[in-house]
Amino acid sequence: MTGIYVFSEDPRLAAELVTTAAALADEVHVVCLGADAARTLTATGATSVVVLEAAGPGTVGARRPEAYVAALAGLVRDRRADLLAVGATVSGWEIAARVAALLDCALVSEASVITALPDGAWQAERVMYAGGAVQTETWSGTAVVTVAAGRAVAAAVPGSTSPVEVIAVDVDTRVRVVSRTTRVRAGVDLASAARVVCVGMGLAEPGDLALAGDLADALDAEVACTRPVAEDRGLLPTERYIGISGAHVHPDLYVGLGVSGQVQHTVGFRDAKVVVGINTSPTAPLFAVCDYAVVGDAHEIVPLLAAAVRARR
Amino acid sequence: MCFKWVAAEGELRVDPVTRAVDASRARRKISDYDRNTIEAARVVAGSMGGELVGLTFGGPDARTGLKDALSRGVDRAVHVVADEGARADGHVTAHVLAAQVRRLDDVDLVLCTEGASDTYAHETGPRLGELLGWPVVTNVRELTVEGRTLRAVRVVGVDLETVECDLPALVTVVPEVAPAPIPGLRSVLGAAKKPSEQVPVADLGLPAAEVTARTTVTSFLGYVAARRRVVLADGDAQDKVDALVAGLAQDGVL
Repeated sequence: MTGIYVFSEDPRLAAELVTTAAALADEVHVVCLGADAARTLTATGATSVVVLEAAGPGTVGARRPEAYVAALAGLVRDRRADLLAVGATVSGWEIAARVAALLDCALVSEASVITALPDGAWQAERVMYAGGAVQTETWSGTAVVTVAAGRAVAAAVPGSTSPVEVIAVDVDTRVRVVSRTTRVRAGVDLASAARVVCVGMGLAEPGDLALAGDLADALDAEVACTRPVAEDRGLLPTERYIGISGAHVHPDLYVGLGVSGQVQHTVGFRDAKVVVGINTSPTAPLFAVCDYAVVGDAHEIVPLLAAAVRARR
Repeated sequence: MCFKWVAAEGELRVDPVTRAVDASRARRKISDYDRNTIEAARVVAGSMGGELVGLTFGGPDARTGLKDALSRGVDRAVHVVADEGARADGHVTAHVLAAQVRRLDDVDLVLCTEGASDTYAHETGPRLGELLGWPVVTNVRELTVEGRTLRAVRVVGVDLETVECDLPALVTVVPEVAPAPIPGLRSVLGAAKKPSEQVPVADLGLPAAEVTARTTVTSFLGYVAARRRVVLADGDAQDKVDALVAGLAQDGVL
């Protein structure tokens, strides 16, 4: 066995994976696509940087990270890696699962607390039921894990230069990119918002948005919502919904207005520092995961709260 | 399309002290997002003039889910019955589903949901596609088929990526791909007349290594949120706001 291989198409996430892996194994090899990524990753203190390069110039589809699944699986197999850690992105999830299928090995999705056990086996935790439970799994032999962004600081070892190896590989061109467009308006970045005001179905009449917007303005917060508000009511764009299949936020302050608190939603703000719920129903499930449960009508509470916040400036 | 029969997550009971999870009283249901997937699959199968087969792998109790899937628009349901108490991980599930898909004739397209409401592992779909040797397109929110070409719009981070590939293909979809209408009475009654089939997993003749989980679960504990749960219910609205603002100021978040 030759240590841990890490891969992400996002060099910053790859550098975080180097930190995670370095705590678990002496040898950490980082696999990347393209010379630019390689330049960043040589300064992470990794044992080596392996660049996968599409064989033949101008190969169609070579820009898709998913095109390198077979190459990555072959590398892990040939080098007898202990573990492949893949950054948990849309591309990373697919790549990890397909590599695991090719290697016929275990996959632990969004693994945390990864541990090398004394007997050579491994252990990791994963969340289940949208954060309602935590499952611990163990395995022996090569496996694939995905690791979410933000679990570790990006490795940076000033002055270090890892050796770089470029490998020409065949790429999978069966899926062809026709076009790619950015769908988020400039300035909307829920994931890095320091404060979030979230609209739930209890406050989802069109006129209510102004109320939420005013509180967000007072708090210098981003407006977010639950999935039904975006998808069923269409009141806000889908990139503004928080939840297991939507945005995951890490704010200092989350304020839920008329949010009932289904687990598929609450998992999306689990890392918030302080959680406030405002709901007319004292039995709203959201109140079980709140620091402050304000029982009352948001129409009445929110303008007073906005005024009180402004008065403190 | 593939669907999963899961415990209703809202009905799991967690012991606040031991964190033990009691799922025995939780109702079972078709994983929420699979309902959107059934609808998307119904529409695309209709456009292709094809039959929609709903496929699930699960314990004997998953049989109850077949009727629900049929009433939601599946033309025929196949339930590969897992041995009672046997644990399946993504490795096992993908091998079982791949074996069953190969037993069906002329499958052009398999739809899975990006994640199930219990595990949400983004795993089964792409694993299945890889085992079938088909192109895989994940995280899709729009899809159409023209002739032998699939065109799909993927949500990739903040981008929308439009891709094409030839059939057969495996696609995983996100809930916005289609609404999940509640079946009407006529659909529910019609479901009883549609064919469904149960296949014991042993009938697939898979080698033991393919039906043995690659991981072992050593602990399964409920998550208990470490929140303060300060309830502000007394007094008028202004009293509650004053108490809230004082608390938030003390927490250093205002």
